[in-house]
Amino acid sequence: MAFIDLVQEKIVRIPLVSTDKAGVLRELVQILKDAGEIEDYDAVFTAIREREEKLSTGLENGIAVPHGKSAAVSRLKLALGIAPEGIDFASIDGQPSRLFFMLVAPPNQSGPHVEALAEIVKLVQSKAFCRALTGSKDAREVVELIRGE
Amino acid sequence: MSTPKKILVYVDGTEPSITAAQYAICLASFYRADLIALYVVNTKAMEDLLKARIFLQDELMEYEHDMEADAQRYLNYVNELALKKGVTIVPRSRRGSVHKEIVDLINEEEVDLLVIGELARIRSWRDEFYDETERAIRMAPCSVLIAKDEDKVWQMYESLV
Repeated sequence: MAFIDLVQEKIVRIPLVSTDKAGVLRELVQILKDAGEIEDYDAVFTAIREREEKLSTGLENGIAVPHGKSAAVSRLKLALGIAPEGIDFASIDGQPSRLFFMLVAPPNQSGPHVEALAEIVKLVQSKAFCRALTGSKDAREVVELIRGE
Repeated sequence: MSTPKKILVYVDGTEPSITAAQYAICLASFYRADLIALYVVNTKAMEDLLKARIFLQDELMEYEHDMEADAQRYLNYVNELALKKGVTIVPRSRRGSVHKEIVDLINEEEVDLLVIGELARIRSWRDEFYDETERAIRMAPCSVLIAKDEDKVWQMYESLV
């Protein structure tokens, strides 16, 4: 399944209410829980947190891509959070992160997981596009922007 | 019109790719064609993720290992599907960029039909935002068949004696 097919309003939150890194991770997992995409919150959160503890997935230009593998999901799941004000996510460039793409995949589906991550990397190469996402007024607009509608 | 002599099906473990494998097995049986199943461990994407610092080195190795295991598992699965219908399949696993490996194998093996699973229904307007399967379709030097309608393909596969 392509990344774009994972993007639905129910897994998008703008703005995120959290103000720190730990809160963002919890909130992103909760988005999946609230959307009915996962049942076992703790298992998914642990997978994401453990990966994040190795090295922050906060990249340059306000992008963060927390991800992990968990047997608690049967297929690739995405949660997308946007914090227009920026949150300290221990990013590579030391700048606040604004766009958070969280992916969690089952251990036996590494291929789709890798391809979705690669698609996100391509997607966020355009700074103008990232600015447009950050400036979206609601989840619907985020989905429309990503799908190019 | 000549019938296909050598068919290649690309398998990536997704449901559409398994449907494509079922269709390809039917075609290979009808036409008595050779059938190759290909899984590509997308090392190009993983290297890109390492460069982007999304992947750690040990994470990359872990994912590569997982994808090699996925390749074996899915190729074994389509092999079983073929054997049930008396069709012989040649499983091939390669590493690299998916579309490039597909095209290279088509050229090396002189494949005359590529069977591939249904593309994602929703596409973005962004040029760079098409997937590896779509690239393979664009670049394949042979005819390409996109298998659609999982239920109908399954019925066709099941009805194959």
